[in-house]
Amino acid sequence: MNMTTQTTPANNGVNVEALMSAREALTEMPAAAEFTWRAECEWLNGVHSRSTVKGFFGLGEEHEHAETFSFDADHPACFAAEDNGATPVEIVLSALASCLCAGVASVAQNRGIQLRSVVAKVEGDMSLYGILGIDPSVRNGFRGIRVAFDIDADASKDEIAAVVAQSQKRSAVFDIITNPGNVRVSVT
Amino acid sequence: MYSTTTLIIGAGQCGLAMSFELSKRSIDHLVLDAGRAGENWHSRRWDSLRLLTPNWMNTLAGQVHGPDDPDGFATARQFAAEIDKWVTRHAPPLFTNTSVKSLSRLGEGYIAETNRGPIRCRSVVVATGACARPKIPVFASTLPHRIEQVSPITYRSPLELRSGGVLVVGASASGLQIAQELAWSGRKVTLAVGSHGRLPRTYRGADILQWMHLARVFDEPFTKVDDLERVRRTPSLPLIGSPERDDLNMDILQARGVELVGRMMDIRDGKAQFSGGLCNAVTSADLKMNRLLERIDTWVSDRGFDELVEPPKRFAPTTVSTDPRLTIDLSEFDTVIWATGFNPDHRFVQMPVFDRKGRFQHHGGVVEDGLYVMGLPFLRTSRSVHIDGAPRDAKALARQISGQLSQPLAA
Repeated sequence: MNMTTQTTPANNGVNVEALMSAREALTEMPAAAEFTWRAECEWLNGVHSRSTVKGFFGLGEEHEHAETFSFDADHPACFAAEDNGATPVEIVLSALASCLCAGVASVAQNRGIQLRSVVAKVEGDMSLYGILGIDPSVRNGFRGIRVAFDIDADASKDEIAAVVAQSQKRSAVFDIITNPGNVRVSVT
Repeated sequence: MYSTTTLIIGAGQCGLAMSFELSKRSIDHLVLDAGRAGENWHSRRWDSLRLLTPNWMNTLAGQVHGPDDPDGFATARQFAAEIDKWVTRHAPPLFTNTSVKSLSRLGEGYIAETNRGPIRCRSVVVATGACARPKIPVFASTLPHRIEQVSPITYRSPLELRSGGVLVVGASASGLQIAQELAWSGRKVTLAVGSHGRLPRTYRGADILQWMHLARVFDEPFTKVDDLERVRRTPSLPLIGSPERDDLNMDILQARGVELVGRMMDIRDGKAQFSGGLCNAVTSADLKMNRLLERIDTWVSDRGFDELVEPPKRFAPTTVSTDPRLTIDLSEFDTVIWATGFNPDHRFVQMPVFDRKGRFQHHGGVVEDGLYVMGLPFLRTSRSVHIDGAPRDAKALARQISGQLSQPLAA
């Protein structure tokens, strides 16, 4: 007997059918799969800035979010700043965790696994010797990032581990962080 | 001009199996090969290579068992000799040293332009193999000339490489086997590991492939697979065929001094860059292996065989550094080996039958009525790239071919 047989289908709030049909449709339309994401950031004062996110391009046309989202970034008092928001590096950690959580929910839904709770704790280690220019051999960014998932779901330990593994395999932010990419900055 | 009913391009195990099936059906045909029959096994494999499938899985068309000891692992040379023997015995209508420059439609059939002149036919079977060209990342072109670049097709033995450090890129069967051989030769080896698999050579007292065969892992038809694209990308079985039935995996390579790094992503400022996702790649491989072992255990217990074989066990998870190097200065390497997979070479097919990535669009090997392809990953089952997959696929496709030929030509 299969102990994981479910009487009601899993519902993690992810519309897997829609994602699957999008996948099928986009396979035939590579141009529609091209997206451009945007954010606009305005310096406010000191190391405090505000980013806003509204429009993006995809499926061959411009889109707008339901509302304009904004994120303040600042630095804490020990950096002699006013702490009006998370630091940019904490926003990066949040983005990684959010991306992996979204992946966990989607993969679990696709595999018929009901989630009860998912918590990802993310830590990144960094030496300030990099950004402060004390030692050129120390990188500015994270030396390493750890993500610890605590997941309560109707599935075995290995099934949950497989969902987490697959969420990394298909995560945009995981890819952005683990692999090099080109960044070009211009000034107008 | 030559004319035949069915033209088979490629005289490896697939093309010869098709010849065997067409002969049984008395369908007039011709087999071409750019070299000899089984040329790839003769000349395009490294010196020490043994088949990773045991001999009972290496049967050619019409054979009941493969070379010698059914549980042994033939060398590529021994297997090439088997093909030679097969050709002598079956005497297929074979033109060797005949390369096809182009294949196109003509009237109700096709025409192949070859170095022996044009050949007309009603139907064609393309059996030129899945591993004709190494798939090498574009950034390979930015490696300095000082560094020698080889692929599993051009690699021969450690003796023929320079003495310095080697970067082996890719951790499926070829990459693992070559990395091990080079580490044994005393070279400093770095292995770049992307998405890969892990299998023990033996499990519960039998070869892992014996279990996979019994549990029908290889027999799921292409029509029943959820994501055919994905399974067609699955790399070769991460195994090595050796008389000692040795395992081959990341931990064994590390114990022999091989340094593991993540998937190779780029070359910048004289440095090779690797992905930081190594940990997930090895975890995924372990999990996938454990799912297979569970499937085997279930197969065993469902049949009440638990007492007859060794008890189930689980292997220790692969250990990798939590801090693998992300960039390595190219000055550490004298050689880069691109074990990054292969592509077929179907460029001679001058017909609009390819997808956006230049791959044949086909349904279980049927490209269109009259045009067939063999020997590609998961053509009809995952066995399709195994040697004993060729006779099975040939049988299925020969039925289609004879059905097509019995249709009257359009008026």
